[in-house]
Amino acid sequence: MSIVMILFTLLGGITLSAQSSINGAFSRKAGTIETTFLTFITGTLFLALFILFFGQGNVLGILEAPKWQLSAAFLGTMYLLLTVMAVPRIGVIAANIAGIIGQLVIGLLIDHFGWFGSLVIPLDAKRSFALLFMVIALYFIYKGNKRSSEEPS
Amino acid sequence: MRYIAYILALLAGSALSFEGAIYGELGKTIGQLETSFYNFFVGSIIMGLLWVFFGKGKLSYTVEAPKWSILGGLLGVVYLTSIVISVPFVGVGITMVAVIIGQLVMSMVIEHYGWLGSKKTRINKEKVFAVISMIIALVLIN
Repeated sequence: MSIVMILFTLLGGITLSAQSSINGAFSRKAGTIETTFLTFITGTLFLALFILFFGQGNVLGILEAPKWQLSAAFLGTMYLLLTVMAVPRIGVIAANIAGIIGQLVIGLLIDHFGWFGSLVIPLDAKRSFALLFMVIALYFIYKGNKRSSEEPS
Repeated sequence: MRYIAYILALLAGSALSFEGAIYGELGKTIGQLETSFYNFFVGSIIMGLLWVFFGKGKLSYTVEAPKWSILGGLLGVVYLTSIVISVPFVGVGITMVAVIIGQLVMSMVIEHYGWLGSKKTRINKEKVFAVISMIIALVLIN
């Protein structure tokens, strides 16, 4: 089961990367805020259709859900705004890599302490090594991107 | 000033993990598609307000743009829904590692071929090492 979930989530990452290229192309003509706005609107429309045909939950449950769970909607916007603030000062690559490190460290901490009622998965030696290898990977990506941007293409 | 920018970027990334953990919980009670819908619906309201007050671009470009370039929203839906489904089963850590690997590897492929209007950047030795390290990380964390 967990392998299926991991493959499924890899697919989520793949679509996210395609999304940022596509949105990048669109925002050059339309603007950043306009692109994000359009992304959210079309996403809402597609989901409205999906829910009509495949929804098994309860959309109106939103009205009864605890407010702290609903506050997550602002986190996505916070991510965008903070990234937009950081990029002009340190560049796209450094901002993305710092963002990924924040995401990984907090993800492992949430699992370790079981915050927000999620699964409790202790941060053991194996997980610490996994984090180390992710940091090594990010270092190589930084190096690799730096080298390709220095080479004339 | 540079240090502050790094802290902002770290906070931006943490926001994504917090979002995944909280939506995982919301998904258990109201449903996964419904949780994604909630996110995109409220996101539209927030971005709509930002657009009204601060938008300097050209939203009307939507009608002239090539159709593939307006599919970003649909891809975002796949991303968020996969997180909401996965977090309750395997936790936030593995979910984020898998998302990041999918994202980084796919970006390398997209840029290598210069797909989707991206600037062509060849895969090099360093990037291959990066992929190997990420696979080791995924095996260790599982």
